[in-house]
Amino acid sequence: MSAVPESFQRYLAPTRLEQALAALAERAGGGGATVLAGGTDLMPQLHAGRVPAARTLLSIRRIPGLDGVAVEGGAVRIGALTTIATLLTDPLVREHAPLLAEAADHFASDQIRNAATLGGNICNASPAGDMLPPLLALDAEVELASLAPAGGVTTRRLPLDGYFTGPGRTQRGAHELLTAVHIGLPPGPRRARFYKAGTRPALDISTIAIAFAAGVGEGGRLRDVRLALGAVAPTPMRARRTEALLEGRVLDAALAAQAAACAADEAKPIDDVRATAWYRKQLVLNMTRRVLDDVAHQ
Amino acid sequence: MSDATTTRPAAEGSLIGQRITKLDAPEKASGRTRYIHDMQLPGQLHAAILRSARVHARIVRIDTAAARALPGVHAVITAADLPNQRPIGVAKDHLPLKGDRVRSLRDEIAAVAADSEAVALAALRLIKVEYEDLPVVADAEAAAAPGAPLVHPPIAGAAAGAPVALTGRADNIAMRFDYGHGDVAQGEAESDVVVEDTFELHYVTHCCMGVSGVIAEFDARGNLVLYSNTQVPFLHKREFAEVLGMDPGRIRIVQPPIGGGFGSKLDIYPFEVICVQLARVTGRPVRLMFSREEEFLASPTRQPVRLTLRSGCRRDGTLTFRSVHTLHDNGAYTSWGATTPFVMMQTFSSLYRVPHCDYHTVAVYTNNPYAGSFRGYGNLQATFAVEAHMDRMAEAVGMDALQFRLLNAQQAGEVTGQGMVFRSCGFAECLRTAAERSDFVRKRAQYAAERDQPGPIKRGIGIASMLHVGGGAKIYPSDGCGTILKLDDFGHVTLITGASEIGQGSETVLAQLVCEELGLPISAVSVVNNDTDITPWDVGVHASRTTFIAGNSAIGAARKARDKILAAAAAAHDCPAESLALRGGRIVRAESGEPLVDLARFLRGLHFNERAELVVTSFYYEPPSVHQDKGYKGDVSAAYAWAAQVVEVEVDTDTGVVRMVNVTAAHDVGRVLNRLGIEGQIEGGIVMGQGYALTENLVVEGGRIRNPNFRDYKLVTAPEIPAMDISFIESLDGEGPQGAKGVGEAPAICIAAATANAIQNATGKRITTLPFTPERVYRALHDALPAPRPTPRVPS
Amino acid sequence: MSPTSEISFTLNGVHRRATVGLEMSALQMLRDVIGLTGTKYGCGEGECGACTISVDGKPVNACLLFALDCDGRDITTVEGLAGDARAQALAKAFVDHGAVQCGFCTPGMMVQATHLLATTPHPDAAAAQRAIEGNLCRCTGYRKIVDAIVAAGETR
Repeated sequence: MSAVPESFQRYLAPTRLEQALAALAERAGGGGATVLAGGTDLMPQLHAGRVPAARTLLSIRRIPGLDGVAVEGGAVRIGALTTIATLLTDPLVREHAPLLAEAADHFASDQIRNAATLGGNICNASPAGDMLPPLLALDAEVELASLAPAGGVTTRRLPLDGYFTGPGRTQRGAHELLTAVHIGLPPGPRRARFYKAGTRPALDISTIAIAFAAGVGEGGRLRDVRLALGAVAPTPMRARRTEALLEGRVLDAALAAQAAACAADEAKPIDDVRATAWYRKQLVLNMTRRVLDDVAHQ
Repeated sequence: MSDATTTRPAAEGSLIGQRITKLDAPEKASGRTRYIHDMQLPGQLHAAILRSARVHARIVRIDTAAARALPGVHAVITAADLPNQRPIGVAKDHLPLKGDRVRSLRDEIAAVAADSEAVALAALRLIKVEYEDLPVVADAEAAAAPGAPLVHPPIAGAAAGAPVALTGRADNIAMRFDYGHGDVAQGEAESDVVVEDTFELHYVTHCCMGVSGVIAEFDARGNLVLYSNTQVPFLHKREFAEVLGMDPGRIRIVQPPIGGGFGSKLDIYPFEVICVQLARVTGRPVRLMFSREEEFLASPTRQPVRLTLRSGCRRDGTLTFRSVHTLHDNGAYTSWGATTPFVMMQTFSSLYRVPHCDYHTVAVYTNNPYAGSFRGYGNLQATFAVEAHMDRMAEAVGMDALQFRLLNAQQAGEVTGQGMVFRSCGFAECLRTAAERSDFVRKRAQYAAERDQPGPIKRGIGIASMLHVGGGAKIYPSDGCGTILKLDDFGHVTLITGASEIGQGSETVLAQLVCEELGLPISAVSVVNNDTDITPWDVGVHASRTTFIAGNSAIGAARKARDKILAAAAAAHDCPAESLALRGGRIVRAESGEPLVDLARFLRGLHFNERAELVVTSFYYEPPSVHQDKGYKGDVSAAYAWAAQVVEVEVDTDTGVVRMVNVTAAHDVGRVLNRLGIEGQIEGGIVMGQGYALTENLVVEGGRIRNPNFRDYKLVTAPEIPAMDISFIESLDGEGPQGAKGVGEAPAICIAAATANAIQNATGKRITTLPFTPERVYRALHDALPAPRPTPRVPS
Repeated sequence: MSPTSEISFTLNGVHRRATVGLEMSALQMLRDVIGLTGTKYGCGEGECGACTISVDGKPVNACLLFALDCDGRDITTVEGLAGDARAQALAKAFVDHGAVQCGFCTPGMMVQATHLLATTPHPDAAAAQRAIEGNLCRCTGYRKIVDAIVAAGETR
């Protein structure tokens, strides 16, 4: 077994959010903290030497209020510690955000789904993160908590769109903890589809991923079209020109083909050990068309 | 000497053909089995190896001072500490610890023994190495060209006749093989159809679930005990003795349960020798276990091959000639990958009837990882080419793929151009059975016709067959196996065999064969097979030989025991021995079944009353095969085995994803012994072949492995497996134990070939490079996959 | 000396303590500190499932779990399946159906499949295949493992 050079000097597993936030905010003694949720990303990164040295390994699993799925204020609130396995089976998720359940079914393996958290997947901010295109397609918002200057906890919300600033980088401040994800309840009937390229049902890092969601209005016109792509850019991305192309239109085969070409053009993939950029673009082209054809027949 | 094993249909109460559960399965299912990684020896130290950080470089300096000073470190060794190192490997070009230069990224530079794994790894990080980079040769063709940087340059002042590791070489040519039978020029002249293709077969690796490891301990008398998962313990004993400068009689090899073999453990590797040296230096037991990454980086691969095949046939469909040139990337050091031509030429010369054949391989040193032996051993690569051309030629003469093959398939009694004698031969029956059960002919025509219909999913079906040794392989001075049987006072049998169990079920089938002779239930047998101090000699688990050779050996010993018992019983009951038999744990009258005496009771009588020799017997079996002559010709196995596999696929033309929907396999196994075990071997081999065809690819670029992990090296997972229909053709081999032949490698050999033919049927595209990943297939569909350049000839 | 901590948790039904390093994985703790070697190291990265254990009733990869995170939790390894009737029926099915060859993947398969049977008492082959998609096997080709799981489901 490979061993790692020790980096952490202490482990904290606080039972109150303020304690966790205080550890994050700490600067004294060369401080800082690395957040540990499910650990499914952190442990391999630690072994590969890719975790910046921090004083504290901060487990947040004992903090109340960080897990659970509830409907409040016209939105589904999903706690950051909600596991991917829960997303697969939770009745509220299946009812109000089935795209997340669909993506969860393609996530890693049962063993990893039982430990990996939605918050972790977002904070890891991999360009190929499985849950991220669906969250973008659902106009999700993240809730970030930090210590208020006068004491206690303050939170702010940021739209996920724009939240990812580069591979592995987000707008979360080092002193902030991601505590929940909010997904607004759709105003009317919605069509949504998720596609992930690969030879396996799961256990693959995405070659590409596509998440589509749109409302359906009068005459079958698409409304609030969202098309998010994964693994074809430094961050998960919205294909905005393609969305504009589809907005207010009725889906037919010709439009689907046109939109697919537009999406392939918007994608900016690279070559890596898994696939070339050319092939990724071809996948975006063909599978966007297929996803849209599917949606048209739904 | 052989005791001719007669075959007979299974009698009532016979164990032959039954589903016998594996003897060690209950313990393994409980998690109690202790593999080599689970062993803890008192006082043991943990070792770790520092591997090269450069692909090709001179070592200027190694500074181990800080590592030696780290608390908990007992020893740090480099080549400088072992001035008389002897080389390992078939070409003797490989020193375990490298002192003057590194030739590949896995090269071992230093090793540490410490109180814990963590301390050992921390010590490695403290070792400073200064390199002077040398130009990298990462391509066999470039390495073979005149003026290419030499991987083993000549060493000044070397003694004449010394091994390559100590002398170097004037070029990068590691090995050459040249074979021929008939006259290919004449064959080509007689051909109405000639096809030529270049095939590129890729790097894959064994991925045994249990990583490599070894434990070495010198006892108080200076004898070495090596805990090793070797598949060839007796060969290992001899080779370790040579490498360590020890008397082989003072080396004992103990084999803990193994976490997979597949041919990965047929050679000596540097890590094993290094571990022994650390045990010597520290005077403590030393254990060395790989990480998974190290397993990917430092284990031998399957031999990658670049191969140009030229094949011909007459317009009536009969094959005329095959001409083959291959370039083998030998890597930096020579292991069993370079010797795969021994098997490859058998396929080119003898799979189907070919009057004229020539075959040429050049193995070239590069700075890439080296290849070893891996289930099928070159046959996958050769069959991939042969079966592509069978389809191409069939189409060219307007014959269907099955008929073309049946026309050219050999039958019992034929002798091939390479001198292989086909006694039992189920070749044609395999083809017919697989084709019938899969509805091959009708579907092939249907899918070809559907190719141009709308819709992204295309279905295809392809067939391929294979030929492999099935009765041992006479490549070492002996191909034999010894057996000792001990019967105790209670009718319990201890079967002591030289044949190792590598997870394939050999110990269970050997127990089954013994119980069949002695009329005992399987529960009456224990098997001892893992200690060279106890077991008789066996050459090792390779070439699908164990059931055949060790099985015949076990049967011979059991019959000797049986004959002794029945002779004593005949004397006691005043009747001829032939009138008696062993059944159901008793001595009975053979014809009526009337029981005379309980076997256990009779044995006690022999022991205490007769003071007779307690039944301890031995039997050494050597099959009637011969060594090949200098032209590689000879009947190298006592029996040969065939299989035909039909693969049905769905190709998604939008993505290139190939789904293997079902596999219909027909295997000529001589006789089914343990039905449960043989099914397991075939299913496992099929899925290993599926990985080779579709998903597995060790990406080696510039001498670096880019995906040394399971995340990016894709083994087949459970949801991906095809439906499998498996038929057994029982050709009842006259020499085989109960008529059986070897099957361990067969099921993996022709899957990729059949898949290529299926993809061609589905899409019209013939892809001659592996693996058929979605991107490769997609590129082929869009004519964006360049064809490989013809294999260069390397003049001697 | 790297920092260590004492944790307490339930292991195979028995409450106990262990002293573990900060960055130690649960797999290292089980094998090297506690000495239970049934749980295997296959890759250390959560890709092969050889280290599957049950934590608070759910199967996870022990190699990805921090030992410290075992504090206060209920952990079952393959050794702890000995008293579980469902697991014993599954073990018998594994033996009877030839689902074991080298056996290295078997402990992980046993833990994973026992959990499947606890939540889905009568899985079909497709459900069994999906359930073990995170458990790699190199020997069997999975066919008989799936057969064994389905058969164990049918007998209860």
